[in-house]
Amino acid sequence: MGKWWSALFGIVMLACLGMFMVAPFVPTWWLPEGVSTHSGQVDALFYIILYITGFFFVLTEALLVYFMYKYAGQPGTTPRPTEPAAQGGFYAMLHRWFPDAHRVEVAWTIVPALILLFIAFAQVPTWLEIKDRSRKPAIGGEKTPIQCHVSARQFEWRVRYPSSQRLRNWQTFTTNEKTIADFKSFASFDGAKPRHPHLDDVPVVNEVHTWKGQTILVQLNTIDVIHSFNVPHMRVKQDALPGRTIPVWFTPTKANTRYNEETKRWEDAFNFTTGKPDMGYRWEIACAELCGWGHHRMIGRIYVHENKADFYRWLEHVEQSQAPPTKPQQKVAAR
Amino acid sequence: MSSSQLHVGEVHAHEHHELSFIHKYIFSTDHKIIGIQFLFTTLLFLVLGGALALLVRTQLAWPHAELPWISSWFLESNGGRMTESFYNMLFSMHASVMIFFVIIPLLAGAFGNFTIPLMIGAPDMAFPKLNMLSYWFMWPAFILILVSFFAEGGAPAAGWTSYPTLASSSMPAGQGFDSPAAPNSGHGQIFWLLSLLFVGVSSMMGSVNYITTIINMRSPGMTLYRMPMTIWALFITAILQAFALPVLTVALILQSLDKLLGTTFFLPPAGLEFANWETGPGGGQPLLWQHLFWFYSHPAVYIMILPAMGMVSDIISTFARRALFGYRAMILSIAGIAGLGFIVWGHHMFQSGMDPRLGTGFMIATIMIALPSAIKTFNWLATVYRGNVQYTAAMLFALAFVAMFIIGGLSGIFMAATPVDIYIHDTYFIVAHLHYVLFSSSLLGIFAGIYYWFPKMFGRLMNESLGKLHFTLTFIFLNGLFFPMHILGVAGLRRRIPDITNAVLESPLVSLNQFMTLCAFALGVSQFIFIYNFFYSLFRGEVSGRNPWHSNTLEWVAPSPPGHGNFETIPVVHRWPYDYGDYGSIDHLKQTDPPDPSHPSGQHH
Ligand code: HEM
Ligand SMILES: [Cu+2]
Ligand SMILES: [Cu+2]
Repeated sequence: MGKWWSALFGIVMLACLGMFMVAPFVPTWWLPEGVSTHSGQVDALFYIILYITGFFFVLTEALLVYFMYKYAGQPGTTPRPTEPAAQGGFYAMLHRWFPDAHRVEVAWTIVPALILLFIAFAQVPTWLEIKDRSRKPAIGGEKTPIQCHVSARQFEWRVRYPSSQRLRNWQTFTTNEKTIADFKSFASFDGAKPRHPHLDDVPVVNEVHTWKGQTILVQLNTIDVIHSFNVPHMRVKQDALPGRTIPVWFTPTKANTRYNEETKRWEDAFNFTTGKPDMGYRWEIACAELCGWGHHRMIGRIYVHENKADFYRWLEHVEQSQAPPTKPQQKVAAR
Repeated sequence: MSSSQLHVGEVHAHEHHELSFIHKYIFSTDHKIIGIQFLFTTLLFLVLGGALALLVRTQLAWPHAELPWISSWFLESNGGRMTESFYNMLFSMHASVMIFFVIIPLLAGAFGNFTIPLMIGAPDMAFPKLNMLSYWFMWPAFILILVSFFAEGGAPAAGWTSYPTLASSSMPAGQGFDSPAAPNSGHGQIFWLLSLLFVGVSSMMGSVNYITTIINMRSPGMTLYRMPMTIWALFITAILQAFALPVLTVALILQSLDKLLGTTFFLPPAGLEFANWETGPGGGQPLLWQHLFWFYSHPAVYIMILPAMGMVSDIISTFARRALFGYRAMILSIAGIAGLGFIVWGHHMFQSGMDPRLGTGFMIATIMIALPSAIKTFNWLATVYRGNVQYTAAMLFALAFVAMFIIGGLSGIFMAATPVDIYIHDTYFIVAHLHYVLFSSSLLGIFAGIYYWFPKMFGRLMNESLGKLHFTLTFIFLNGLFFPMHILGVAGLRRRIPDITNAVLESPLVSLNQFMTLCAFALGVSQFIFIYNFFYSLFRGEVSGRNPWHSNTLEWVAPSPPGHGNFETIPVVHRWPYDYGDYGSIDHLKQTDPPDPSHPSGQHH
């Protein structure tokens, strides 16, 4: 009778395992396709851990179910003697502290320890590459990022780009001290406010643009509570902290934005391989830290243009449609 | 050991006069009554927390449903729908209630109080009056948290973590206690802070008492290495609690000062700009809260599981009729978990803006904490191996603890891995993890403990068939509810979202959420079997006798229920508690059984 309990455990655990086996094949139940240069590494680490933990899940649950079946108590079973503790040189030493140590205990301590150490150290390079602030992309050379300022507030992302002219200056590889200083001044803040705002800065709301293969450096801050700049498709997540500006950078490997001649607008969620709109190519910035009642709908989008020319076409378009600078900006500049 | 003899003398003196009802059952200093008081009040809060959870689940599955009954009950309405603020309140209060008013006081308060003196052979706690105070200090906390539901602006809604500046922002001194950040972060949040302060004081009194009792009041022969795992676990938990709690207390006081007096411990120098209010300049740092809070709350997650681990170890050994495998290694791994537990708090802050290089250190410590967890799991398996397993309701819950803790421990590794955490932080993967460790492990361990010690508490057995039915349904539905959360997290569903139809990655997940909500309701309904069984057995259950499970530990030597002073004669301990099953004609040797050359103890010296 008691043996049936092992079946209950077995079936439930198999159902759990089954769910993890099926989920990757259900389109919306698994990791969305990663579209940044580092997403492959993050996913690889995820899969390494998945396989290792999956192995230990199956091993330990199977042993539990098997023992529950095999050793289900029957009246009149003869009890079994306890195994003697291991003997011998190394164990003699161990026995001072662990008089009951068995060989198998040494094995199941050392093997998991090594595996865990491997898992831990395998994370370090990728983590530092993504987040270590001393590796933040700098101005100069081909790697020069485009830079924008994202200021979070309840419940939207206010984004500020430099003018196309300024951006072009940063991007020309013949940088001089003045350009470098200008690049840095863009990221200099007084609280959440830019310390050196320019009249021709380009503000947009809930949109972050870059182009395929171009690193974007987001200067992230917030004017009210903590928010989190979360772009699952790019494997990016960083809290915005009141009082601090935190750099976030990533490089998209695919484009999703084109100019739609019919609507006369730049539209995202476009799959360039199939040439059709595709919701799999909508890459949202979905706030991931509870920030109040509107938290769930604090959602922006990442627009990745096909190339540099297209990006500048967009930026200049916004510049023109907004010139002359709107009033609030003048006020800021006058301060 | 003279101290315990002294106490036994006192006990006899006590028995001569009858205590009035009030002193016996209400303002009692008897550890058993206090334990049972904790048990009853926390089980009531479990019902409240569960009801809040079902409302959360309803909203997740049917985000646009009209729930007229909610609006008539709570005067919060949005065309008959649940408002976002109301939803935020629901999960914040669900978590706060479950963590601070259910799991911690159940494990430390109810089981700690009931088992410690009985299992070490003491007549009571070292400080019985302090013990009574520790229970009665929970009452201001109960009242404050319940009052907060009716606070102006609504009950607290900033999560159980109450991160500044959402939780901490306030109007300048003299302009009232509304919050510029969220309507229900004003008065409600203040009640929350004060309530937790009382919980903290209560826990502190409890842990000081437990530590002293375990060190000083063990009966003759009860050496440290003869203590049952339940006691070891409660002992280490009490130490953990005593070291970690002051930090939470400080954090709570700082946030209370920010809210009440307009200090700026968590307000950054440049101040903040809310939609309708601009604060003045501050001088603080919002991240400070996270450090202080997690410095307590990470050890607290172990406070919420180590006692269950101890109880489950004893229950498994009892019903497998086999010595607990690797006793010393079990103790050392609990100590290891507790020690490492103090240097891993930063794993909650990997994406918070804390220096990422610091995150690397926290990551390595965190991943290594899986090692003692793994050792414990292997030891439980090895205890069942070659056992003679008796499937009682208590044993089934204990075995389920092991099966579920494996899942919770393994998912921890994903989140500890910093790059992977970038993706899964603040998604349902975290929610899955914490429910596997807190519900599926701790709460199942608590059920195991209730079925196991019920006869000692009340002198009657719970009904086994109903217990097994309760187990089967709970086990099935909790997995139906919590396991898919892993998938939701991997698919990108954020936590703390009242309407999951807004984001591209989230909206396809509605039907899976509906399945989970159905499981949640079934899980909730299954608990009525337990409630019925509990109260029925309390009055009508089969009379249990002293030792219904043929256990070895000392509490089973005392009458059921034990009288004031616990033991008729002071128990003398001759062996460890795990001599089960190996002795030919003798099935087990109680800790009080005298040494017998023909039946040597299984404990190696
Ligand atoms: C193998 C051991 C464990 C590891 C490696 C581990 C790791 C982690 C990590 C890294 C996080 C933070 C995830 C994030 O927010 O991104 C976390 C969250 C959490 N863990 Fe664990 N954990 C373990 C065991 C436990 C246990 C035993 C408990 C409780 C009994 C627990 C309770 C929690 C809770 C409640 C949270 C969520 C806190 C919140 O943000 O609300 N964990 N765990
Ligand atoms: Cu948010
Ligand atoms: Cu933690």
